[in-house]
Amino acid sequence: MNIFRNKKLLVVLVVVLTILVAVFAFPHEEPIDFNTQVKPIINKKCISCHGGVKQQGGFSLLFKEEAMAATNSGKPAIIPGNPGDSEFIKRLSAKDPEERMPYKHEPLSEEEIAIFKKWIKQGAKWGNHWAYLPVKEVPIPSEGAEWSQTDVDPFIYEKLKEAKLTPSTEADKATLLRRLSLDLIGMAPPIELAKQYLDGAHPDQDYENLVDTLLASPAFGEKWASMWLDVARYADTKGYESDGERNIWKYRDWVIRAFNEDKPYDEFIKEQIAGDFYVNPTDEQYIATAFHRNTMTNDEGGTSNEEFRVSAVIDRVNTTWEGLLSTTFACVQCHSHPYDPVKHDEYYKFMAYFNNTRDEDLASEYPLLKQYDPVMEGKLGQLTAWLKENVSEAKSRAVYKFLKTGQPTINSTTTDSLRNAVIGNNNIALFFRNNGVARIAAVDLNGVDQMLYHFASKSRGGKMQLHLDSANGPVIGNWAVPGKDGYQIQAVDVTSQQGIHDLYITYQNPTIKGNENVLVSFDWFYFTNQFPGKGKPDYEKQKEIFWTLLQAPASTTPVMVENPSNRLRKTFVFERGAWTSPGKEVEADVPAAFKYAMPKGAPKNRMGLAMWLTDKRNPLLSRTMVNRVWEQLFGTGIVETLEDMGTQGMDPTHRELLDHLSWQFMHDYQWSVKTLIKEMVMSATYRQDSRLSEELKQKDLFNKFYARGPRIRLSAEQLRDQFLSVSMALSPTMYGKGVMPWQPEGIWNSPYNSAKWQNATGEDRYRRAIYTYWKRSAPYPSMINFDGAQRVVCSPRRIRTNTPLQALVTLNDSAYIDLARHFVNRMQDEGGEQVEQQIAKGYEWMMYKPIPKAKLQIFSNLYQTALNDYKAHPDRVDSLLRDDKENGAQRAALLVVANTLFNLDEVVTKN
Amino acid sequence: MTREELNLRRLMKEANHTQLNAYTRRHFLKESAMGLGALAFGSLLGSCGSKPNEPKQIVFDPAHPLLPKSPPFLGKAKSVIYLHMAGAPSQLELFDYKPELEKMSGQDCPESLLKGKKFAFITGVPKMLGPQAKFAQHGQSRAWVSDNLPHFSTMVDEVTFLKAVTTDQFNHAPAQLLMHTGSARLGKPSMGSWVTYGLGTENQNLPGFVVLTSGGSFPDAGKSIWGSGFLPSVYQGVQCRSEGDPVLFIKDPNGMERDLRKATIDAINAANEQEYAYYNDPEILSRISQYEMAFRMQVAAPEVMNIDNEPQYIHDMYGTQPGKACFANNVLLARKLVEKGVRFVQLFDWGWDAHGDGPQNSLNIGLKNKCRSTDKPITALLLDLKQRGLLEDTLVVWGGEFGRTPMLENRNGVKSPYNGRDHHTEAFTMWMAGGGIKKGFTYGETDEIGYSAVSGKVEAFDIQATILNQLGFNHEKFTYDFQGRPFRLTDVFGKVIHDIIA
Repeated sequence: MNIFRNKKLLVVLVVVLTILVAVFAFPHEEPIDFNTQVKPIINKKCISCHGGVKQQGGFSLLFKEEAMAATNSGKPAIIPGNPGDSEFIKRLSAKDPEERMPYKHEPLSEEEIAIFKKWIKQGAKWGNHWAYLPVKEVPIPSEGAEWSQTDVDPFIYEKLKEAKLTPSTEADKATLLRRLSLDLIGMAPPIELAKQYLDGAHPDQDYENLVDTLLASPAFGEKWASMWLDVARYADTKGYESDGERNIWKYRDWVIRAFNEDKPYDEFIKEQIAGDFYVNPTDEQYIATAFHRNTMTNDEGGTSNEEFRVSAVIDRVNTTWEGLLSTTFACVQCHSHPYDPVKHDEYYKFMAYFNNTRDEDLASEYPLLKQYDPVMEGKLGQLTAWLKENVSEAKSRAVYKFLKTGQPTINSTTTDSLRNAVIGNNNIALFFRNNGVARIAAVDLNGVDQMLYHFASKSRGGKMQLHLDSANGPVIGNWAVPGKDGYQIQAVDVTSQQGIHDLYITYQNPTIKGNENVLVSFDWFYFTNQFPGKGKPDYEKQKEIFWTLLQAPASTTPVMVENPSNRLRKTFVFERGAWTSPGKEVEADVPAAFKYAMPKGAPKNRMGLAMWLTDKRNPLLSRTMVNRVWEQLFGTGIVETLEDMGTQGMDPTHRELLDHLSWQFMHDYQWSVKTLIKEMVMSATYRQDSRLSEELKQKDLFNKFYARGPRIRLSAEQLRDQFLSVSMALSPTMYGKGVMPWQPEGIWNSPYNSAKWQNATGEDRYRRAIYTYWKRSAPYPSMINFDGAQRVVCSPRRIRTNTPLQALVTLNDSAYIDLARHFVNRMQDEGGEQVEQQIAKGYEWMMYKPIPKAKLQIFSNLYQTALNDYKAHPDRVDSLLRDDKENGAQRAALLVVANTLFNLDEVVTKN
Repeated sequence: MTREELNLRRLMKEANHTQLNAYTRRHFLKESAMGLGALAFGSLLGSCGSKPNEPKQIVFDPAHPLLPKSPPFLGKAKSVIYLHMAGAPSQLELFDYKPELEKMSGQDCPESLLKGKKFAFITGVPKMLGPQAKFAQHGQSRAWVSDNLPHFSTMVDEVTFLKAVTTDQFNHAPAQLLMHTGSARLGKPSMGSWVTYGLGTENQNLPGFVVLTSGGSFPDAGKSIWGSGFLPSVYQGVQCRSEGDPVLFIKDPNGMERDLRKATIDAINAANEQEYAYYNDPEILSRISQYEMAFRMQVAAPEVMNIDNEPQYIHDMYGTQPGKACFANNVLLARKLVEKGVRFVQLFDWGWDAHGDGPQNSLNIGLKNKCRSTDKPITALLLDLKQRGLLEDTLVVWGGEFGRTPMLENRNGVKSPYNGRDHHTEAFTMWMAGGGIKKGFTYGETDEIGYSAVSGKVEAFDIQATILNQLGFNHEKFTYDFQGRPFRLTDVFGKVIHDIIA
C-alpha cells in the first residue's frame, strides 16, 4: 500500500509526527522560572531601554501587559508559545548590528537566549517577585534536629549541608554573655546578672534566663530605639541652613517606651503613621506621629514654604517605602520604577496619603501637640466633660483638638494679595504696616460667627476689619486692636455668612502717620463660633477655663494633624518629579501590584494606609522588620540590602527562613518584637563560636552561611555605652531633652544661629549615647566617625567601615580619656592590691574571662614603661590626671593601660 | 621572634589577606553559589536609564576603603583646591564690568527684568545700581578686573574666567549644596567624597579630602556640603582647623607623650596579634593597620598643618596670621596639603553676602574688606603653586554659589543706607586655573548690564563634569548605586566644558 496516496492518512501522519517532534524535541524540559531565570536577564540587559524609564520602540518588559502588548511595529514582540515568530527572539540573535539587541552592546550569550526561547515556548508566564507576594507558612526543614535549638536552625543547617559546611561549636559562656548583653541592652550587663549567669550550673536554662532578664531590662528599649531612630531620621534640629533646634525628643522617648513595652509592631507602625486618626487620640498616639514630623524644615530667608512642604511630603513617601517596606521608591518620583512594578503616577497616588497634613514648613513647626501641666490637663478634662454633657460630643472633641493641637487654624503665612504688608523673610509671619491689607483665601464661613486670631501689636488706636470677597467688600467684622507687648489671642465677632469666601483683613491706625513701620504681626486665624453652651450651668466658668488653657504654657512636640475636610489639598502627578510642573490630579491609593493587601472598606486616608501597611497580607512590612532585626544581631540582613528587597536588591541568603520568621512574627508572635528577638538569640546559629577556620575563610569569608557566630565591630552607640557601663560612670537617668556630653570646641558654627554646644556638667556627661543631642548639620563627631547616620533622610542601613579616624576617637577623644579615668578608679578600688591584678580585673570586667597570660604580660610591660615615664616627668602626671594626685605616677600609668584596653580589637568588637 | 620579624610576618599575612579578600569579594559577587546577585553598592552601571553592560570599575572594600586607586583615564589634574566664597560674591564689583549699568544707575529697574521673576529679598520695583568699583584691563589677555583685587589682577594670564555661570537656586544652602553635591537637597555626596571614593588617598598618613573654613561661620549648608551622603562615611571631608586640634582627636591626651603613645599602639597591636591568632578574622589585621596609620597621621597631620616653619617670605606673600583661623592661613595650608598628596582641598570663606542691610554686608565696606582678606593669599597661592611646579596638575577653582543682581536691593520694599545687591541666579563669574585649564582665557558672556548669560552659559553640573574630567573621570560613568538606582555627581545633567581645556 502506498500510504502517500492516501491524503487523509498523510494529513494524520503529519499531524502525529508534528506532535511527536514537539514532544520529543524538548525532552523532560525543566520549566523556566520567571523570577530566578528570566527577570535577572531582563533587569541586567534589557530594562534600561525597555522599562520604567524608556520604552524604546514602544516595547517595555516591566509589566506583563506591556510586554505582551503591540509595539510601535503594530505587533507584539513576544508571542507566547512561539519563540520562532517572536520579534523579541529574532532581534536578540540578528546579524545586522542595527537590528540586534541590546542595541550597541554586547550580544546576549547563547544560554541567555536559550532561556528566553524556552520561556516563550512554555507560554511566557509572568511571575511576581518573591518579596511582593504575601508571606506563606513555610514547612520547617527536617535537617539538623540534634543541633537545633529553635526553628531558625533547621533552615540554616539545610544550607550549610548543601555547602558541605558544618556549624561551629557553641561559644563559651563569657563570649555569649557579652554578645547577648551588647545585642539586647547595648552595653555591659549588670554585675550581679553577669555573675549569676557565669556561676550558673545549667547552661541552657541559665542562658534562657539571661535572655529573658535582658529583654525585660529598660535598657533594652534604649538599645533598640537607636535602630529605629535611623529609619525615622530623628534629630534634635530642623536641618537646612540655620539648622535650629526642634523639640521632638518626646518621640524618641516614645520609641524607647514602645520597645520596652513590646508594643506589637503593627500597632507601633499604625500609631506612627496615623496616631492622630484614632478616636480621641491620646498624647502618646499624637507623639507617635512625630515619626513623620522628623522631616526637615527650612527656615532660610527667602525660601518657599510650599517647596519645602512638598519636599517633606516626598521624604515621608520615601521613608515609608524604604524604612518600613524595604523598597526603594525615590526613583518613581521622576518616572515609573525602572525594575519593580510601580508606575510613575502611583508614586503620587501614594503621596496623596501624606499630602493633607497641616504642617507647612513653618519656623513655628505647627501643628504642635501641647502638653499642659497636670493641673491644667485636669481642667482640660473637666472642660471636655462639661462640653460633652452640655453641648455635644463632637463639639467637645473639636475644642479638645483645638486646645491640644491648635488646629484647624489658618497660618498667616498663607495669606496673599498683600498691600502695606509682607510675609516675613523667613516665612515666619504676616506683617502689617499702617493701612495693611491681606487676603485669607477660601474660608468656609458656614456656621461661623467668630474669629480667633493670634497676633502681636504694640500700637494703640488700631482698627481692623474683615471684608467679604474683596478689600472693599462688605464688612463682616470690625474691631479695635488692643496694643500690648507680645503675642495675644483676640476673639472677634463675625456676621454669619453662607458658603466659602475670600476674606480680606485690613488695618488702619489713624494715630500713626505714614506706612513705614511694621505695626502688627499675625500668626494664625481660626474661624469658629462663640464658646458653646450658653445658658448651661457653669457656662462662664468653663469659658474662662477655655481661655486660660488657650494661653497656658505647655511643652510642645511637632505632630501630624490632618487638614479639615473643607480645606483639603489636591495632589497632582509631578512631571519628571518637579513640584513646579503639576500634571494630572490623583487620589490616594497604593500601587496596583500591592492593592490586594488593602482591607475592604479601608478609608482613603492615612488610617487606611496604616491598615494596609499592617494587614497580614502586606508582603513587605513583616519581612522588612524581621530582616532588620536579623541584621542587628548577625551584622548582615538575610537580604543584605535592608533598603531594597525588590528585584534590584540582593537575593536573600535564606529566603525560606525569612518567610518563616515573618509568618511567625505576624501570626504566632502577634507582632511581638521581643519574641522575635528571643527566637533568634535562642538559636544554635546565634550561639556559635565566631572563630574563623581556614576552611571558612576560603569558603565563606563573609559568613553568608552562618557556619560561625557573628563577629562585628560595635556600633557608635554600643561603643560609648559599653565604656560608660564598665567604667561605672553611666547615668541611670532615662528620657528627656538631648544632652551634650564632651565634644571638642568649634563643631557647631551654623550661620544665623547662635546656639552653642554647652558641655554638660554632672551626670548628663554620662548619659547613654541615644540621649546625645543630634544636630543634623554637625552631628556628634565621635559617633559619626563610627558610621553613625547623619539622620538627614531615612537611613535604613549603616555600612560599617574601618578607618584610622576611628582609632583616633577611642585613643584621644577626651570623653573616652575621661571614661578611662573612671575605669582606673574602679580598677584601683575593686581590682585588688597588685597592679597586675587590677589590669587583669579590668580586662575581665570587659571580656568576662580571665586575661590570657601573654596579654597580661603586654599590659604589665606597658604599665612599667608608663610608670617610668611618669616618675621621671611628674608634670605629665598632672596634665593627664587632673583629679586625684595621690600616687599620681601609678594612677597615670594605669590610665595609659586603661586607654589601651579600650582600644583592643576584641573590646571594640562583639565577638 | 623580634618585633621586626613579627611585623614582617604580619605584613605578609595582610598582603595575603588583601588578595584573598579582593578575590573572594569579587568572586563572591560575581558567581556566588547562592546567587546573591549584583553588589548593591559601588558598582558602575551607568546613570539612571543608561545602557547596560557598563564595566564595573570601582570595588568598594570596607576593610581598605582608602587604598589609592587609579582613575579610569589619565587626568591632567592630580588634585583640586576649591575656594568657595560662601554668601556669593558680586561679579559686578569684581570681574563682570558693565559700563551700561553705570549709566542706568539710580533708574527704576525695567519691568521686563522683573516680570515673572522671583528674588529672595527684592520686592516691588528696585533701582538699578552701577558698579561699585573701578575696573581696568590687565595682562596680555586684557581681562577686566576691578580695583577690589589689585593683586589678583596680575594673575589673569594664568586663569580661565567663566563669565556666564548660572544656577536655579537662589538661597544659600541649596545653591551651595547644588554646587558641591549636584543636588539642592541634603543627602548627596560632595564632590570631594566622590573623588576620594574614586581615587582613594595618595598619602596614607593624611586624609584624602580636607576642608578648611574661615570667616567665622560654616557655610550655610553646614557640614553636609562636605558630607559623604550615601557613600560610606569614610569618604566624608575631614575638617582641618588652623585653630585648636588640626584634625579632631589627633592630639594625644595631655600628659601622654609620643613615645608613650607609640608604646600603647605597640601594645594594642601586639594584643590584637594574639587576638588574630585566636579568631583568624582578617578584620583584625585591618584594625592593626588602621592603628598604625592613625599613629602616622598623628605626626603627619599636625606637621602639615603647622605653618610656623614656613619661611618669612612665604608668610609675607600669603599675608598669614599664624595662630589664627583665617583665610590666608587656610590658603597656605591648602598648598601644603596638595604638596603632600591630598587630593581634594576645599576652602569655605563665609561673609560674602552683600545685601547692603548693614555695613559689613555692603558693597562699599564689607565686600571690600572680604576682597582685602582674600586677594593677596589667592594670588600667592597661584604664584606659589607655579613656582613649585604644582600648578600644572593642581586645579584651582574660585567661585560662589550664585551671583548678585544688577539692581540695588530694597529689602521689604524699603531702601537701606548701604549699597547691596540681592541673590541672582542668571549670571555670575567663576574662575579656574591650572590642572590642564587654558591660561588667560575667558569663556561666556553676559548682557550689557550683567543680568543674563548671553553665550557660554554653564551650570554647576558642567563645572562638576569638567573637574571630574580633569581628574580622569567620565562624569556619566562615575556612579554609585543607592535607593535602587545608580547615582552620579552630575545627576542626569552636565557637559564637560571642552572649550576651556588647554
